Amino acid sequence: MTDDSQARRRELVHKQNNREAAHALDQLEKEFPDNPETMAYFYDLFRRVHCEDAPAADGGPLIGTTCVQVPDELIRAAGGTPVRLCNGAHTMDQVGSDMMPTKSCSLVKATLGLLHSDLPAYLEPLKGIVNATTCDQKTKAGRIMEEAGYTVHHLEVPPSKGSEAGRQYWRDSIREFAASLPGLTGRKVTRKGLAKAILDNSRAQQAYRKLHRLRQEKPALLLGKDAFLVGNAFFFDDLERWTEAVEALVAELERRKADGFSAAQSRAPRVLFTGSPPVFPNLKVPVLIEQAGAVIVADETCSSNRMLYDAVTVDEWNLYDMVDAVADRYLKPCTCPIFTNDDDRKRRLLDLARSFDVEGVVYQAFAGCQVFEMEYRSINQALDEAGIPCLYIETDYSPDDVGQLSTRVEAFIESLKARRRRSQ
Amino acid sequence: MSFFAGIDIGSTAIKVALTDEEDRLVAHKATPTGSHFHRNAQEALAALLREAGVSRETVRFLTATGYGRKLFREADESISEITANAIGAKKAGAEHGDIGTIINIGGQDSKAIRVDDEGNVLQFAMNDKCAAGTGRFLDMAARNLELDLEELGDYHFNLKGAPPDINSTCAVFAESEVIGLLAKGYSREEIVAGIHYSIAKRTARLVKRVGVNGRVYFDGGPALNRGLVAALEEELMQELVIPDIAQVTTAYGAAILAREAWADESMAG
Repeated sequence: MTDDSQARRRELVHKQNNREAAHALDQLEKEFPDNPETMAYFYDLFRRVHCEDAPAADGGPLIGTTCVQVPDELIRAAGGTPVRLCNGAHTMDQVGSDMMPTKSCSLVKATLGLLHSDLPAYLEPLKGIVNATTCDQKTKAGRIMEEAGYTVHHLEVPPSKGSEAGRQYWRDSIREFAASLPGLTGRKVTRKGLAKAILDNSRAQQAYRKLHRLRQEKPALLLGKDAFLVGNAFFFDDLERWTEAVEALVAELERRKADGFSAAQSRAPRVLFTGSPPVFPNLKVPVLIEQAGAVIVADETCSSNRMLYDAVTVDEWNLYDMVDAVADRYLKPCTCPIFTNDDDRKRRLLDLARSFDVEGVVYQAFAGCQVFEMEYRSINQALDEAGIPCLYIETDYSPDDVGQLSTRVEAFIESLKARRRRSQ
Repeated sequence: MSFFAGIDIGSTAIKVALTDEEDRLVAHKATPTGSHFHRNAQEALAALLREAGVSRETVRFLTATGYGRKLFREADESISEITANAIGAKKAGAEHGDIGTIINIGGQDSKAIRVDDEGNVLQFAMNDKCAAGTGRFLDMAARNLELDLEELGDYHFNLKGAPPDINSTCAVFAESEVIGLLAKGYSREEIVAGIHYSIAKRTARLVKRVGVNGRVYFDGGPALNRGLVAALEEELMQELVIPDIAQVTTAYGAAILAREAWADESMAG
């Protein structure tokens, strides 16, 4: 291809991508009645950043991350601004298909597609990428990013998190990462910088936890599609502004609670969402669930709850202890299916199901995401033993299967309603 | 007198069922969906009422199901075809013993459903996206063999020798697959049997995902094909219950749900 035609192709992809985002936003915003007023911040944010190419976060050099296991705190402590690259666009999935085998994960393909297109303003200029070696596809994708000319730090993740050896391996990996950061940001991780980053992040997480707890209310105060959007905004938004916006949303939901407001029908079945992460604009399955009359009250995914729930716990505020505390936070509570053991994920799901009065679980697996596909068996068994029905959906970013999926999702929701009638 | 109606707007056919207050099937009908599905659905319903001598006013509640369920605004309610199928099969199959698993092959999808004693859906599996091994494939294959759909069953039983393996049950590649086999010298009987076994194998895998429980009920248009039934019974190593109303079970279920919804509303005042 000539440079000229390549440039035209890139421009076309860029336009298509913006259109796809606009379409998704219209659906999220306009096809549901009574959205919280404070959600306008998030709808506007996505519109500006993903449809109109506005920049997002203020601050130091942008460092892209491809996984929730990359500690934002360390990047901020070194003066950088972390921005999560995990992409949800079908347009980008198609671009990335050139670099990956056919049967691979949409999310990894779309992320590579994004990095091989004209970068949107919120990623410009991208100083470097931190790629965690989690699943095979992400691990190999790190090399493809390097080939495309990006500076990539391969953050090595152990296959097991329960053993002392695994923990030590990860601590070394994190220490090495902290030491290498000045190469990306031009600044060292300092004691003061890290303490501030930990506190800033935990303030954001406290706001998120308040929002999370409000979703325990019956009837539900917030739809899951909005909750996912809030989580997705954390990928790229300015940390302080995001925290304020979440606090405003929390305050509005408190008022709605006092007014006896209900975000869905008062008897809408309560659903827990797990598996491959919904990333804007691919909120296909959450939207189908809520269009079918259910409400997503909690999630166990790395684009939302797994990313935000657990905060760093520090014993001693000196640099080395803080770095180790950061390492522990990003390993121990992580329920990613790449780890050998799935006990923590089962426990987390059963906990969420119990404390959020969940009536059914929807398990999304991106076609080609082997680890989520494989772990379905044991997770479903654990849910079955606890008497919680689970719907397994294998899908990707393409809109082709929406018709089929809507039938399956509706049938599942209807079966949850019938189950409730039976038990009454 | 009160009547209830269920309309199942599928990809190939529109099915209507009319029931009374005791959930007895009063009349039923199936017509091609065609390209004007909305008009055809209205006409199918009107024709059924005319034939049954029932006035529209005495139909207290109308429930729509199938792919066109949401676009048929005349309905009082819509319900997914999986729930409607389960309810209809449970009732229609009651005389044959306890139905625990339902197989449905439609025009563009196939499903396996496991139900409890009351017809509530416990688990279900459905083919993803593509129409492989569904009624559409039978349709295409029959056309390429220059046979009527109804003849497929007879051809199946006239088989001498072993049927060929059909590797692809893809509705799009059916043509090249079938023509290829004809060119290799396979008889139409052999190819028909091969097609039935390949659909049966695919369907059996779907059934395995939900599990077999009690008697197995098989419905949808293709359940009228005796050859396919025989192949599926062989694959599942189990006798299947084939209802008289194989094609309208789901519409029948929708009519029962219409009666239930009407009763709930009347109770609520």
